[in-house]
Amino acid sequence: MNTESTTTKGEYLLLFRGPHWDKGLSTDELQQAMDKVMGWFEGLSARGKVKGAQPLGAQGRIISGANGGLVVDGPFAESKESVGGYLLLQADNLDEAVEIARSNPVLKYGITVEVRPVLAECPISQRHPELFQSAKQRAVEADQLLASAAA
Amino acid sequence: MSATSSAKSDYLLLFRGNVWDRGLSPAQLQKVVSDWMAWFERLKEEGKCLGGHPLEDEGKVVSGKQGRTIADGPFVESKEAIGGYFYLTVADENEAIEIAKQCPGLEYGAVVEVRPVAEVCSIKERAAQIGQMATAAV
Repeated sequence: MNTESTTTKGEYLLLFRGPHWDKGLSTDELQQAMDKVMGWFEGLSARGKVKGAQPLGAQGRIISGANGGLVVDGPFAESKESVGGYLLLQADNLDEAVEIARSNPVLKYGITVEVRPVLAECPISQRHPELFQSAKQRAVEADQLLASAAA
Repeated sequence: MSATSSAKSDYLLLFRGNVWDRGLSPAQLQKVVSDWMAWFERLKEEGKCLGGHPLEDEGKVVSGKQGRTIADGPFVESKEAIGGYFYLTVADENEAIEIAKQCPGLEYGAVVEVRPVAEVCSIKERAAQIGQMATAAV
């Protein structure tokens, strides 16, 4: 079993869960928290750590079943688990990504940050290298064939 | 209520469930993976997908004051776990849903969450609204 991870270029996805941390905060508290979050984000950006980041709208759909036969409204509004936004991070390793996640100023209001290494390759093909070796090999052979034809 | 803040019509597809490939035959696995790659490449060529990545099963979950609690992510065997994402730029939500319906993993139990990408954080919007109400009250 190949356990060596093929993480792409040290990218980590931070998923912010629990989008209703602001409930119960006073206007002042909320304003301060927002200022801190913006400062945190600007600081990371200035250090070249941010490759992308967006909040997500509370609306959305969940699609499942063969040919996407089942389409339902997502229960994003109520859930503490629901993802409220993401940040694609450039970090040296998982430890640095976790340290950055820990420095998020709204953790104290109850959000959860999921830190996930981004992969270059589909994990299914990683779990079954024997199946996909041949496809890669065929691609290499095709390239060689093209190169020799061009020569 | 102000207009929604997703004027760009960007959507994130979150692929949920990282165990749906278990029990598939080698031929089925090869087909679903190559179909998935072809689907991704086509969407990129059409300019509808700006990027996407699979995520590693391992990870960490950070919570609590100053991020004191760090747990290993319970991602290994979960129907809910997010296994990867696509970033779409499309005309509207219907188009995003139509694209999500083409996901080759659906027939094996994968679930796709379609979420509009917001320009402005909803909490910031709520804060601004509270601020306006306070000003109006004065």
